[in-house]
Amino acid sequence: MTKYILKRLGQGLLTVFLTVSTVFILVRLAPGDPAVAYAGPLATTEELAKVRAQFGLDLPLIQQYWIFLQQLFTGNLGTSYSFQAPAIQVVLERLPYTLTLATASILLTAVVAIPLGVWMSRRPDTKKEFGVNVLTIAGQSMPDFWTGIMLLTFFAVLIPIFPASGFATWSALVLPTVTIAILQIALISRMVRREMTTNFAAPYLTVARSRGVRNSLLTWRYAMGNSAIPVFTALGTRFAAMLNGVVVVEVVFAWPGVGSLIVRALETRDYPLIVATVLVTALLAVGVQLLIDLAYPLLDPRIRLGKAATA
Amino acid sequence: MSLSDTAVPPAGGPSGLPDEPPARKSSPSAVTKELIAKAGATRRRAGAKFKIRTGVICTLLVVVPIVLAAFLPLPDPSHQDLAQRLLPPLSEGHLFGTDQLGRDLLSRILHGGQVSLTIGVLAVLVSGTIGIIFGAAAGYFGGKLDSVVSRLIEAQMSLPLLMMLLLVVALFGPSIPVITFVIAIAQWPEVARLTRSMVLVEREKPYVSAARILGLHRVQILIQHVIPNVIKQATLVVLLLLAQAVLLESALAFLGAGPQRPFATWGRIISDGQDYLTTAWWLVTVPGLVIAIMVVGVNLLGDGLRDRPRRKKKGA
Repeated sequence: MTKYILKRLGQGLLTVFLTVSTVFILVRLAPGDPAVAYAGPLATTEELAKVRAQFGLDLPLIQQYWIFLQQLFTGNLGTSYSFQAPAIQVVLERLPYTLTLATASILLTAVVAIPLGVWMSRRPDTKKEFGVNVLTIAGQSMPDFWTGIMLLTFFAVLIPIFPASGFATWSALVLPTVTIAILQIALISRMVRREMTTNFAAPYLTVARSRGVRNSLLTWRYAMGNSAIPVFTALGTRFAAMLNGVVVVEVVFAWPGVGSLIVRALETRDYPLIVATVLVTALLAVGVQLLIDLAYPLLDPRIRLGKAATA
Repeated sequence: MSLSDTAVPPAGGPSGLPDEPPARKSSPSAVTKELIAKAGATRRRAGAKFKIRTGVICTLLVVVPIVLAAFLPLPDPSHQDLAQRLLPPLSEGHLFGTDQLGRDLLSRILHGGQVSLTIGVLAVLVSGTIGIIFGAAAGYFGGKLDSVVSRLIEAQMSLPLLMMLLLVVALFGPSIPVITFVIAIAQWPEVARLTRSMVLVEREKPYVSAARILGLHRVQILIQHVIPNVIKQATLVVLLLLAQAVLLESALAFLGAGPQRPFATWGRIISDGQDYLTTAWWLVTVPGLVIAIMVVGVNLLGDGLRDRPRRKKKGA
C-alpha cells in the first residue's frame, strides 16, 4: 500500500516535472519578447536589454533552465513581471477562488446528474426518457462561454438577481456554477445512465430480482454499487480538469481565479507566472487523480491497490 | 439489442397465411402487433431514427449555407457601413442584422463558419488518423509499444489541457495550421483508447489465427483484416469528435486565440459582440445559436447511429 502510494507519487511528480519543463522551454522557443510586453512599445534598445538582463532572459537557454531547476526545488519560481510579486504567491492567492468554483460546480453536478442518470436508466425507451436524453445532448452541445453570456444577460442584466462579475458576495457564485454544471450534468448523467443500464442487464441483478430484493435496493445498492467506481472516476477527473479548465467561464464572469490569471499571463508573456500557474494546476490535477485512485478500495472492497498498480 | 430480432411474431412467419379461420388465429405466441409497437426495441428504433433525421436536418441547416456562402447573394463580410450600424435581425437586406461596424452578421457567421468547419474537419481527420494508427498498433502488438501509447494517453488526460492549448496558440500565433494541430493533439487519445480496446477484442478472434496460419505478416493482418472490422465504430467516435472540435475552436477564438484571417470565427464574433450585450442582443445570441444547432445536429446524428440496432445483412 505504502509502496503503491510512493510509486504513484513518483509517477505523478515526474509528469508534473516534465510538463513544467516543456512549458518552460516552449515559452522561450516561441516568438514574442516579454521585455517588449513589459517595457512597452516605445522602449529603446538599451532599456529592453536592461529589462532582459533584469529578468535573466539574456542568458543561454540551458543556463536559464539550470537556474529554473534550482528555483523549482527551493519553491521560488521568480518574480512575476506584471505583478512584481513572487509568481507562486500570485497563483496561490487566486487558487481559493478557482477551488471554490470547481467544488461548487462538481457538487451541483453530482447532486443533479446521478439521480438524473439513474432515473433515465430505470425508464429506458420511454417518451420522457427520450426527451431528457435529447436535452442532455443539447446540454453538451452548447458552447459554455455562450451559455455563460446568455445566463448573464438574463439573470444579471435583464432581471438583475445575481451580480454579473467578480466575487464579492456568495450569490456571485451561482451563475458561473450553473454555467459549468450544465455541460457537466449532461456528460455525467449520460454516463451514469450507460453504466446503470449495463448493470441492470447483468445476470446477478436478475437473480437478485427473482429472489425478491426490493427495487430501491436493486437500484441503489446493487446496480449503483457496481457503477460507483466509473461514476466516481468520471466526477473526479472532471473536478481535476476543472481546477485548470474553467478558463472560459472565469473569463466570462471576470472570476478572479487561476483561469483568468493564465489568460492575462499569456497576453503579457509573463514567463514566471505562466510556469507557476502550470506547476500549481498540474500538481493539483495529479494530486486529485491520486486521491481518486486511493478512494477505490473504499468504494469497492474487492480492489487491492498494490495489485491494481501492476495490472 | 437482440430483442428486436425475437420480437417478430411467429404468426406472420415465412408461411404467412393472414386470412386463417378464427380457430387458427390465436397463434401460439401472445405477442400482438400492439405489443410490438409498444416494445422498448421498437421505440428505441424509432428514437434512433428520429435522432438521425433531426441530426441530419440540423447539421445541413448550418453546413449547407456555409458551404454555399460564396454563391449566396450576401454582402461582403468585412464591408463596413457605419450608416447601418447595429441593425436588428430581419432588417432589410440583413437577415441577422448588423454589428457595431455595420457589417452583415449573417455573412460574417457564414464566412467565419467556413474557417471553423475547415479547422474542425482537418483536426478530426488528423486526430482520427493518429488515433486509429496508434490505438490499433498498441492493441494489436501489445508489449512495449502498448505501454508507451497507454502512458502517453494517460499523461495527456491528466494534464491541464485547455491551458496547454491556449499556451501553444498564444505563443505560436493563432494561424489555422497551429489551431488545427492543437485541436488534433487534444483529441487523438480519445480515438486511440477506443481503437485499442476494440482491437484487443478483435485480435483474439479465430479469423486472425487463421490468417496467421496462412502465413500473412502481422502488419498485413492488422491492416487488411483487423482494422476494417473496427473502422466503422472508430469513425463514429470521430464524428462526435467533430462536434467537440468545433466547440473547442470556438472557445479558443473566444479567448482571443482564434484565427483572424481570412475571417473571424464564431467564438471571436461572440466575444466581439459581448460589449454590446444590452444594446444589440443578436450579436451574441445568433452566432451562439448557430454553433449550438450545428453541434446538436452532429451529436444527435452520432448518437442515433450508435443507438440504431444493427441491420442484418440481406441473405445472411
